[in-house]
Amino acid sequence: MAKARDIPGIEPDATFRDAAASAVETRAEEVFAFRDRVLDTSDIEGVHDMRVATRRLRAVMEIFAVCFPKKQHRRALDQVKELADVLGERRDPDVMLDRLSELAEEVEGLEELQAELRERQAGANERLAAALERFERDRLRERLLVLAAEARAE
Amino acid sequence: MKARKVKGLDPDGPLVDNMRRVILVRLDELYGFEDKARDPANVEELHDMRIAAKRLRYLLELSGPLFGAEAKRSAKVVKSLQDVLGEIHDCDELLEVAHARGLDPLAAHTHGRRARLHESFTREWDSLEEDGFRDRLEAALRADVPREEK
Repeated sequence: MAKARDIPGIEPDATFRDAAASAVETRAEEVFAFRDRVLDTSDIEGVHDMRVATRRLRAVMEIFAVCFPKKQHRRALDQVKELADVLGERRDPDVMLDRLSELAEEVEGLEELQAELRERQAGANERLAAALERFERDRLRERLLVLAAEARAE
Repeated sequence: MKARKVKGLDPDGPLVDNMRRVILVRLDELYGFEDKARDPANVEELHDMRIAAKRLRYLLELSGPLFGAEAKRSAKVVKSLQDVLGEIHDCDELLEVAHARGLDPLAAHTHGRRARLHESFTREWDSLEEDGFRDRLEAALRADVPREEK
């Protein structure tokens, strides 16, 4: 699992709003850095890394919520939550398939379930691809960076 | 599980003071589950405790530069708790699937695994209590923070 990047400017006397800006900028860039790896079904770690990064982004958006303009923050946060959900749907069959492959020698009758999970994986991958395109058209990354800048400017 | 609202946050106030407030609320949220989480049958509460642990862990990771070694150590402790709660949650998801499909051998195996994981969780929680985790973290949060001389 990829380690979280250090956030610049996390110092005791930094203002809450400056830290908010820095945190959202850093965590937003982290999420989109995984964009290229995430649709490769042979690399399940890409999905996992993007999902963890999205959770960390959501966490800083919630921690520092008071520092951002309410409407823009709400809209961006809703989309980050949506991204987290669609990544979760994609990740869940990976986790289950991994677990089942460990159990295959000890427990009988798993083949049908494994086949269903692979189909679910493929379907979730298509939905993830569609969601990522939608977020790109909607310029989610850019809006997160603008939101961060607004925290500093207020 | 919706996070409790933290009162008194000031966007123009020092980061350290604001973060202290948030961490204390999230720490209290985590401990709010301690009694119910001891019963392995409380699936929802164990899931909610995992979410609470995750929120606290991300906060502590962020706060390392503010509250020093104890915050960093505490982040690792909470991560370990989150990990075992995560594995319990994975078992719960797999059990739901196994029961829905009548996969009795899978259900039996997963029940056994879940029971062992829950025992591991209660041992870990007891160890955390014996170590005075909450008191130590609260003391670190309330200690004077070394400021750089300007």
